[in-house]
Amino acid sequence: MTINYKRELEAAAKNMILIHRPDTLIKLVLRTTVRKARLTHAAALLYDKKKNIYIFAESKGETGVKVPSGYVRLDPNSGLIKFFREKKNYLLHKEGVLEFAEISNFLKTKKELFAKDKLLKSYLQETKYQMQLFDAYLCIPSYIHGTLLGLLLLGSKKSEQPFSKEEINFFVALTHDVTMAVRNAQLFEELKSELDKNHSLFIHTAQALASAIDAKDHYTHGHTERVTQYCMAIGRELIKRKKIRVTGNFLETLRVSSLLHDIGKIGIPDDLLSKKGPLTEDERRDIEEHAMIGSSILNPLEELSDAITAVKQHHENFDGTGYPKGVKADEINIYARIIRVADSYDAMTSDRPYRKAFSDQQAFEELRQYSGTQYDPTVVKVFIDIYRRGDL
Amino acid sequence: MHSLKELKMSKLLIVDDEPDVREFAKNFFVKRKLEVDTAASGSEAIDLVKKSKPELILLDLRMEGIDGLETLKQIKEIDKNIKVIMVTGVNDAESINKAKELGAKGYIHKPLILEELEKVVLKEIRK
Repeated sequence: MTINYKRELEAAAKNMILIHRPDTLIKLVLRTTVRKARLTHAAALLYDKKKNIYIFAESKGETGVKVPSGYVRLDPNSGLIKFFREKKNYLLHKEGVLEFAEISNFLKTKKELFAKDKLLKSYLQETKYQMQLFDAYLCIPSYIHGTLLGLLLLGSKKSEQPFSKEEINFFVALTHDVTMAVRNAQLFEELKSELDKNHSLFIHTAQALASAIDAKDHYTHGHTERVTQYCMAIGRELIKRKKIRVTGNFLETLRVSSLLHDIGKIGIPDDLLSKKGPLTEDERRDIEEHAMIGSSILNPLEELSDAITAVKQHHENFDGTGYPKGVKADEINIYARIIRVADSYDAMTSDRPYRKAFSDQQAFEELRQYSGTQYDPTVVKVFIDIYRRGDL
Repeated sequence: MHSLKELKMSKLLIVDDEPDVREFAKNFFVKRKLEVDTAASGSEAIDLVKKSKPELILLDLRMEGIDGLETLKQIKEIDKNIKVIMVTGVNDAESINKAKELGAKGYIHKPLILEELEKVVLKEIRK
């Protein structure tokens, strides 16, 4: 039975696009190759950049040599790897593959050449031996920008017939496609891990900034951490109750907004922040500046636009009587409306220079009383429910 | 079948808790005309050593249950002349030192080079 290689290739390529994991991809391709071309076995050797070695990543086949994944390696200076790294073309097919029959034949017939070049002989013998170790009849290299990314080693056909030119072309084209797909998959994974790294760096930075704010204001020790915790609980509950349409990374933005909500206090003098007596009108206005100062500090960070708005609006009231702009209801972004409630609750339940802390009950009474005027009623309701459930 | 196998002295015993590794290593050395036995765990290896003494043991360091070092210790208590080569990871320096103290003949790193594996094993068996 003959196979339509072109069709197989197209089908394989289609599958590859869908797979973002290099190991899954290689497994799939080896299995397809072994089945469709009826091979004893096939294996993939992949370059490990960190260790600078080539590792047998995967092999498939019912009858042939199956190398356990990750068990065997080849060093870059081993014959087989050198052969493809240095591209000794005089032996190769024009497609760039190495056939066992050819290297055997070359070793037998080029005696004159080897008499002059003993090194070449021992190196080719080593290459041939390494093919024998894996029962490889055909080796197909995979290059990215001239670097040898890996090798596909194929056993023989179960029919014991030699490979046809059409088959070799198929394997080469398949290897090329796999290389591209693996490269994409690797880039995708690298990018993801890079993003994860940056992301956790970013969150840690925000946390460090938050502790800096807390350190400045002794009376609010641990305030930011608690507010963030309340905000996250409210955010999760709002999602659960489908009270908000979640777009983008809602919880992440909420976390960053609550961590940074008081960052503007960096610009307020210490003695004013910790003043014991009642504030004068001017002093109160100065302290209220922290919302605008915070948003200006963060302004250069374009990616944080929603969080910046939240920092600016976290003292706005639901009925438009808050500061700095007096916006109301939906004009206040959801992050700011959540922070408004969590922030007030923590302020009420903490000791202040001029008063003792409220009890939880008193604080909730206040929240309820000003629900709809100062606070978003939906947020207040959710917050009280979480507290009643004992999840705070 | 099993009793026949026990009578015959197997030259090489491969101990590894991964079936793929046992199958591959066994085939590899059978092809090189060795008599090969396999054990899937430290305790299975110890039982086998009691019944039929192999000449050489290829022993995986990291195994579920009784690990390679403990297996090595118990094998050496049964017969200290049995040669043991440890199969280790690159970062197992401390265990390698312990294995040497316990009388291991040598070690080989995973992922391993097949020629090295072949050379080390054949050298010890032909001695």
